[in-house]
Amino acid sequence: MHPIIRLVNRNLTISLNKGFLIWQIVFPLIYIFVAGFAYTALIHSVPFGNKSLDYPAFIASGMIGFNIMNSTLISGIIIWNDRRHGMFEQILVGPFTRAHYILSNIYTIGIVGLISAALITAVGYPLFFKSVEFNFYTIPLVVFASVTGSILFGSIASIISTRLQSSEGFNVVINTAFLFFAFVSTAFYPAQGTPEPLSTAFYLNPLTYLVDVVRAGIFGNFSTFVGIEMIVLVVVALILFTISTKLLSKLEI
Amino acid sequence: MAVDGIDLSVNSGKIFGFLGPNGAGKTTTIKLLTTLIAPTSGTINILGMDAIRHPLDVRKKIGVVLQQPSYEPTLSVEKSLEKYGMMWNVERKTRNDRVEELLSAFDLQEIRKIKNDDLSIGQRRRVQVAREFMHDMELLFLDEPTVGLDPSARRGLLDFIKKKVKEGLTIFFTTHILNEAEYLCDEVAIINKGKIIAVDTPNELKNKFGREKTIKIRMPETKKDVQGLLIDVKDYEIDFNSGTNITIRSNDSEEVLLKILQILTANNISIEDLSVMPTTLEEIFLTVVKNSNASNN
Repeated sequence: MHPIIRLVNRNLTISLNKGFLIWQIVFPLIYIFVAGFAYTALIHSVPFGNKSLDYPAFIASGMIGFNIMNSTLISGIIIWNDRRHGMFEQILVGPFTRAHYILSNIYTIGIVGLISAALITAVGYPLFFKSVEFNFYTIPLVVFASVTGSILFGSIASIISTRLQSSEGFNVVINTAFLFFAFVSTAFYPAQGTPEPLSTAFYLNPLTYLVDVVRAGIFGNFSTFVGIEMIVLVVVALILFTISTKLLSKLEI
Repeated sequence: MAVDGIDLSVNSGKIFGFLGPNGAGKTTTIKLLTTLIAPTSGTINILGMDAIRHPLDVRKKIGVVLQQPSYEPTLSVEKSLEKYGMMWNVERKTRNDRVEELLSAFDLQEIRKIKNDDLSIGQRRRVQVAREFMHDMELLFLDEPTVGLDPSARRGLLDFIKKKVKEGLTIFFTTHILNEAEYLCDEVAIINKGKIIAVDTPNELKNKFGREKTIKIRMPETKKDVQGLLIDVKDYEIDFNSGTNITIRSNDSEEVLLKILQILTANNISIEDLSVMPTTLEEIFLTVVKNSNASNN
């Protein structure tokens, strides 16, 4: 078995515990079914391209992107725990290189991101099935968003985990960053109609691009703008991945 | 601690002890030999391979128990062993057999289902050491493996190591507990301030640096002035606390003993007990390090 596959196996074993899976499913379910239906009284429908989505369908599709982002936290947590509990050095005196370690993390978050997206798609499907439009782009767009988003947010989590020494610092920074990503985005509400500074801030946030691409996939609403968003996602993911790889490869032992 | 001009060769199928005071450079040397860090100059040859140019090839053939703890907090003891075997590409059947063997050998059966996070420091250390035997290797680096272990676990580990060496494994072993090194090692090196100051078998080191021996003589209480009788004898101490005890510490301990015995016999003073204390590796270590520090200063 290839060293990277062995490390991915190990990463998944230590990460996918009951608590994580429950958090990955229950947390979005609360958003989709509680917030989704509660806000229906205020938000009857959300304009989306040439369509009009009801709010539960809108938030359920947004939660796919949100969940992909959340699941990539495990990348930072794996690196952080490995450093804290001595496994980083132990792996590097074993039959692995730093490149194996870095790539295994990327594959792990890619897999977790896809599983996460699939879970929420399955859970949210009853809510948005009326608006779903399967076409040539649908599945590839969601898979593209899952993988690119995982790499992008996984790289952010990795960068944070390599730069911070204390567990308190790691938790505060990562939670603050991910809170910003979650709520200053189009995951929960549309950019149209929000105050100008806020809607601008939405588009400084990669989660907005991720969620837009996911929605374009689910609701068959591909446009030139979505294409530009995909390019932005790839470029940002590549830059962040390069930075995180450099930081990891220079991490002192 | 930087190390400088270290020149070592370790014989296959033997246990090589690497001793030194805190901060002497033991862990740095282990990190160099296990390819965790690269040297600024020099060569490192491990198992016939250039460790600087082919670190991965070297790492595939060695095992390493680092000084610092390493564990997966969320995994149980048996799962830790099993996953570690998987990481080393050990096939499933062999893995399962080894897990059972190691759980028994390291007395981990009772805690096999407990998560690493819930173990004591000593238990975690036992798991960490046991884990390394999940995979095949030719050379094993053990950096203070007995830290945190109770005496029976320590003895169990040392005996397990001896057994593995008999099967052909080579061990590079560092410790602060000198009687462990004496019990285990075929050859030892002493490092101080980044430089090797002595390398030899424990017995040869004793011959080289351990000429001073300690001899104890106990006599019944006597009204005779023993101290006065021995006034011309050098290198001895006398203690009257319980009976009369004479302790000889000298490089010529046999000569001194002979003189004392002649004087005692001539004065009809009987001897209740006579014992010779062998020189320990610890005494050699202290002497060698003290000499090294003195010459550096």
